[in-house]
Amino acid sequence: MKENIEKRVLGLFFLMLLIICGVAWAAVKNIKASINKTDWVNHTHQVILDANAIAGDVHKGDACMSAYLLTGDKRDQENYRIAYRAIEPTLEQVLRETSQEAYHKDFTTLTNLIGQHINFTRTLVQAREAGGVEAARQVAQSHPDGESTTEIDRLIRRINDNQESLLRERDQQAVLQAHNTKIVVLTGIVVNFILLAFCFGLIRDDLKSRRIAATALEDANAQLEAKVKERTAELIKSNQALKKENLERRWSYQALDHQFRYNQLIVNSISELVFVISKGHNISRINPAVTHFTQWQPQELIAQSLDRVLQLPQDGPADPIGSALNEGRELQERPAVVLFKNGASAPVRFNLVPLRDDNKVVGGVLTVRPWHGDPPPPA
Amino acid sequence: MKKHILSVDDEQDIRELLQESLGMQGYRVSTAATPEEARKTAKADRPDLIILDFQIEESDGFILIDEFRRLYPAVPLMLLTGAVFGKGAVREAIEKKVASYLDKTASLSDIVSEVRRLIGEPE
Repeated sequence: MKENIEKRVLGLFFLMLLIICGVAWAAVKNIKASINKTDWVNHTHQVILDANAIAGDVHKGDACMSAYLLTGDKRDQENYRIAYRAIEPTLEQVLRETSQEAYHKDFTTLTNLIGQHINFTRTLVQAREAGGVEAARQVAQSHPDGESTTEIDRLIRRINDNQESLLRERDQQAVLQAHNTKIVVLTGIVVNFILLAFCFGLIRDDLKSRRIAATALEDANAQLEAKVKERTAELIKSNQALKKENLERRWSYQALDHQFRYNQLIVNSISELVFVISKGHNISRINPAVTHFTQWQPQELIAQSLDRVLQLPQDGPADPIGSALNEGRELQERPAVVLFKNGASAPVRFNLVPLRDDNKVVGGVLTVRPWHGDPPPPA
Repeated sequence: MKKHILSVDDEQDIRELLQESLGMQGYRVSTAATPEEARKTAKADRPDLIILDFQIEESDGFILIDEFRRLYPAVPLMLLTGAVFGKGAVREAIEKKVASYLDKTASLSDIVSEVRRLIGEPE
């Protein structure tokens, strides 16, 4: 987006530069054309001046020659000769100047007419010198070039009219060109201003979108920061909960361990024989008093039947332990005989407490003590 | 200022766990492994609560309870112990001597709640 706007703005500036160059080129071209026109106008005026000078010299020469024809005064003769001679350089100059112009032929015609007129004046002068004024008058009336001055005047007037017409035409063209230049320059300025306004609009939109983007970014950052804070708080809370849970677990473990060790110690310290049996009468645990009393080692009794170390009376009920465990009852002070490892035996009394797990009897705990006869009844 | 708790127990794990747990709640916890250490600590920085076991290696918890009750009559005592039989009867007998009795199978959160009940918030 940003790159696009930069490209568009650069493109527009390039276009404005092109328009300015175009306008400058058109203005320079028009100025050059105006300068050329000025040269041409000067040239045209020169042509008109030359033509008028020729006409003036012809008339001056004719006047002096008429005076000479009437008076025969040599000064008049000299004057008309000077006047006629002055025509030649002017005529040559104007012929040179107009050599490339379309109206050059008018001056060729003028040259011929002036040539004929000069010949006519020579004829008149010769007639005057030979036959006097009268002879000159007759030649003037009868000579075919008698009206040459009038034709020269008419031609020069036509040349002047043509030149003035061209001047007017060029004036109109100059005005039109100036007008066109003005339109081109104004159009260029207007188009450039429009492009500038467009650029301004693009830049303004770009700035606006940047501001919006910056605001959106700030909002997003703020939201992100809030989320990070929230998440951090959650993590801290979660971490604390974990730590607490861990502490609780460690506490439970040590409490259990402590309790187990304590209970073990208490059980081990009992002098009575303690047997933990399964429902099938197999021994699963014993206390040290058993080993101490019977000399059986724990590994010789664990997983063995209780019969190996304890015998119930043959005359009593069949399997009272099994019945008590099945019924979940206790047995108190029941007689039995303990079998020592060395084959000897000793009478004992035992208690049985069912061992429960989730209210189900899974075995029993027998506590056995040596029997030395019934104590004497209390006094 | 943060409230000061003195924990007296000959088991290091117990002392550390109580210190960490009550410390997390914002209490200032000192520990002592022996009665002598407990006496010195209590003298240097009077506690707001004393937690102790009654079976201590170098002494008798009951003697220590009597001593602390005499020295700091306003400071509540919490007895924390394990391996007892007949909890109800024990509780009845012991609670006459101390402000609170809990066995060590109680959870830490229960212990913290009991501490809060006895001495209030940490600050």
